Amino acid sequence: MQYPKAIISLLVTVALVYSLNRSWDFGKPIPPLGKFLDPFHGFWKNAETRNVPSEEASLPGIKAEVSVVYDSALIPHIYAKNERDLFFAQGYITARHRLWQMEFQTHAAAGRISEIIGADAIDFDRGQRRLGMVYAAQNSVTEMEKDSIAKMIAHRYSDGINAYINSLTYETMPLEYKLLNYWPEPWTPLKSGLLLKYMAKTLNIGNKDFEMTNALKLFGKETLELLYPDNEHVGDPIVDNPNGWKFKPIALDSVPLAIPKDFVQISQLEKSSPEIGSNNWAVSGGKTASGSPILCNDPHLELNLPSIWFVVHLSAPGYNAMGASLPGAPAVISGFNDSIAWGVTNAQRDLVDWFKIEFKDKTKNEYLSDGQWKPTRKVIERISAKGKPDFYDTVVYTHQGPITYDESYHGESEKNNYAFRWIAHDPSKELLAFYLLNKGKNYSDYMEALNHYTSSAQNFVFACTNGDIAMRVQGKYPVRRKNEGRFVLDGTKTSNEWKAFIPYDQNVTYKNPSRGFVSSANQYPVDDSYPYYITATSFEAYRNRRINHLLSEMNAITPHDMMKLQADNFNLKASESLPALLAMLDSTKFSAEEKAAYQKLKAWDFINDIASEGASYYEAWTWAIYPMIWDEVAASKVSLPYPTAYTTIKLLKENPTLGYFDIQATPEKETALEVAQKSFSEGVKEIEKWKLETKKEPSWAVFKDSYIQHLARLEPFSYHVIHGGNGNIVDAHSKRNGPSWRMIVSLEKSGVKAWGVYPGGQSGNPGSPYYNNMIDIWTADHYLNLHFNTSAEQIKPFSISTSTLKPEGK
Amino acid sequence: MKFIIQALATFIGCFVVQYFLPWWTLAIVSCTVGYYFHNNGFASFVAGFLGAGILWLAMAFYIDSSTQSILTAKVGKLFPVNIFVLMVLIGGLVGGFAALTGTLMRGKKMARY
Repeated sequence: MQYPKAIISLLVTVALVYSLNRSWDFGKPIPPLGKFLDPFHGFWKNAETRNVPSEEASLPGIKAEVSVVYDSALIPHIYAKNERDLFFAQGYITARHRLWQMEFQTHAAAGRISEIIGADAIDFDRGQRRLGMVYAAQNSVTEMEKDSIAKMIAHRYSDGINAYINSLTYETMPLEYKLLNYWPEPWTPLKSGLLLKYMAKTLNIGNKDFEMTNALKLFGKETLELLYPDNEHVGDPIVDNPNGWKFKPIALDSVPLAIPKDFVQISQLEKSSPEIGSNNWAVSGGKTASGSPILCNDPHLELNLPSIWFVVHLSAPGYNAMGASLPGAPAVISGFNDSIAWGVTNAQRDLVDWFKIEFKDKTKNEYLSDGQWKPTRKVIERISAKGKPDFYDTVVYTHQGPITYDESYHGESEKNNYAFRWIAHDPSKELLAFYLLNKGKNYSDYMEALNHYTSSAQNFVFACTNGDIAMRVQGKYPVRRKNEGRFVLDGTKTSNEWKAFIPYDQNVTYKNPSRGFVSSANQYPVDDSYPYYITATSFEAYRNRRINHLLSEMNAITPHDMMKLQADNFNLKASESLPALLAMLDSTKFSAEEKAAYQKLKAWDFINDIASEGASYYEAWTWAIYPMIWDEVAASKVSLPYPTAYTTIKLLKENPTLGYFDIQATPEKETALEVAQKSFSEGVKEIEKWKLETKKEPSWAVFKDSYIQHLARLEPFSYHVIHGGNGNIVDAHSKRNGPSWRMIVSLEKSGVKAWGVYPGGQSGNPGSPYYNNMIDIWTADHYLNLHFNTSAEQIKPFSISTSTLKPEGK
Repeated sequence: MKFIIQALATFIGCFVVQYFLPWWTLAIVSCTVGYYFHNNGFASFVAGFLGAGILWLAMAFYIDSSTQSILTAKVGKLFPVNIFVLMVLIGGLVGGFAALTGTLMRGKKMARY
């Protein structure tokens, strides 16, 4: 009678194997435990050491052998015999180290995150679809396919990634796939397009058109200009060329601004942090010790792991470029070659408009435009959330763009239909611009390359070994009448739509200015004599002034001086606001803690370095004062924009009795004085509370508690870091955002020298020592020497490993 | 003695097969070994449990020590229980039940003798 027992035992075994071979979701997702914990193929196999094995792979599609030499930072130096193999190898090698991140980010761009993490992300995914992210990426891919070079780059890069994906087994799969239990899908050029649109969204989506519309209706024109000026007129514009604009600008016939009548009442999608921005500058040889130009760039983005950047050196006959690339996009984005260097900061310009649409009826088949009913186009979006039935969303398109907000999505009423017009929806081929920059030899190559660059608008800094330096605020900008783009527009009229674009040769550009340097830090781009109207969510008021002040005083500059400037922690905002704020306090009312805090602030040197306690008290104070002053904005029934820090401080100093300083929740009538006193007490209380909770002293870096987070928000794969800086400081490292890549390039005729670092590591694998090895170097404000050698033999002394990619069958 | 040899055979058999094939093939190996050795049910279960469990533990320890626990420390924090214990339990239970199944499958044959 053993059979029944045997069958029961067999069933138990089979049930065990089955349940341990699949994932489960008990509120928290559980990976297939048997598969995942198996030491022969599971997560253990993702653990690595500093020794990088030399690999050899025979790959379909490679023409001639490609040599990939890794230096001690795991930076791949890729030496190919032709460009087709070069981009294939870039795709293969980038995927080798960053595949999971590449796919995760492009899934996020396409609104497909719920496929990986479940129903919680459906709202986010719908938002991405309704912003037209895939539509935008498709338009750019169609455009790239028309250009033989752009097509070649995108396809070869894609082929390389797919060659890597095809080589994967469960054992060699990146850790996150094992944890979240899914497989990578084939790469396509569309995914590279999606990645670039994702970047464009990060840089463009801070728009405040809705809030400004409400503010205009609530406050009126005069207050609007006081609280939210287009140009704060502070510091130097990026290009200061008064009366030097000798072209004939495009003129539009004048029509009145058509703003819809009602307040905008929608719950808006999440926006990018205002702390996202960047610095770049180039100094001419006349100001440097070597006599050659030096170029610097540090883009400030959300700090995540795996890092947004992957450093590569790409070499083939006629091609030799190095620098930071975006995993998922071919070529180098911020970098240098034998002759030139380039870098980017966000141009901030408003390239987003919202049109209020009037539909004929609930079917949304027709919409009103210039007195005519025009047909809409509908796209059915299928969202396949993990473990849930498919969710379908119909996105309606008008000629302006997709309807992002309506009664079914964040619109809250049938009256709220807003169509999204975004420059990134237009056909473009940014890849070609970067390819040409990678190969550029001089100023005219740089100018030609940028003629292919559309969105998102960037300040491109440039320097050349021949001594030239330049800055170009490049992008495709609609010609706007005054105030167009600042508010929501009436979608029933086409008169306020984008009629023309600023010709590229009329974009703001600067070459070899007499002051001996060019710089940009997201400030207002140009002097008042520039003939086109410019608006933006905000321009940065502090970093540019600090950078320009120091650069104009510096001479015989060395790369080391530039490293010090990138790490500069002087808080210009504090130096301009703190003395005035302290003078407003009534010291007779102080508690013991407030007295101590007051002394610390008085003695503070305005430097947000690691140990500074004054910085903690100052920042805690500003975090308290800002919402206290703008309580009218927070309490408003309709969403309103917040004035910038610069405007707030200016009003505090110059207009202390302004009505907005009154705290609405209290019966008394407050002025700036009372607000300063109350917020000071509140800030000190916050710090006291923090001290009690953490049992630590509030040194700035500890109090700030910066965090570099894994993209799947897994805590064990994330890091808290001790580092100075903050938003509005040159070293713009706040709690979550900061210099995501620091690069310094000395363009010496005898050979270009470069240094770089980023807060992460070249490997995307949390099980690799190269996952986080650059974080400590970065927090110490140190740099890696970027070995830029022109042949595989020259790089050998710095190499730790060499991989060879061979044509199939050889 | 037969018990120890069964455990050892499971250990070696699983090592060879698992090197190339997915994790669940350890069940097939344990089951086959259990069938062949035909220990009593309890002994067979324990032999399968130890053979597979110790193999996994040894392999995991080897990887963990040669990589200075770089990943074990991180992944361990994702689980509410110790991952070494969890892993041995999983490998062991599957190995044990498979071995038990193997022994029990021989049961009928035994009765004939």
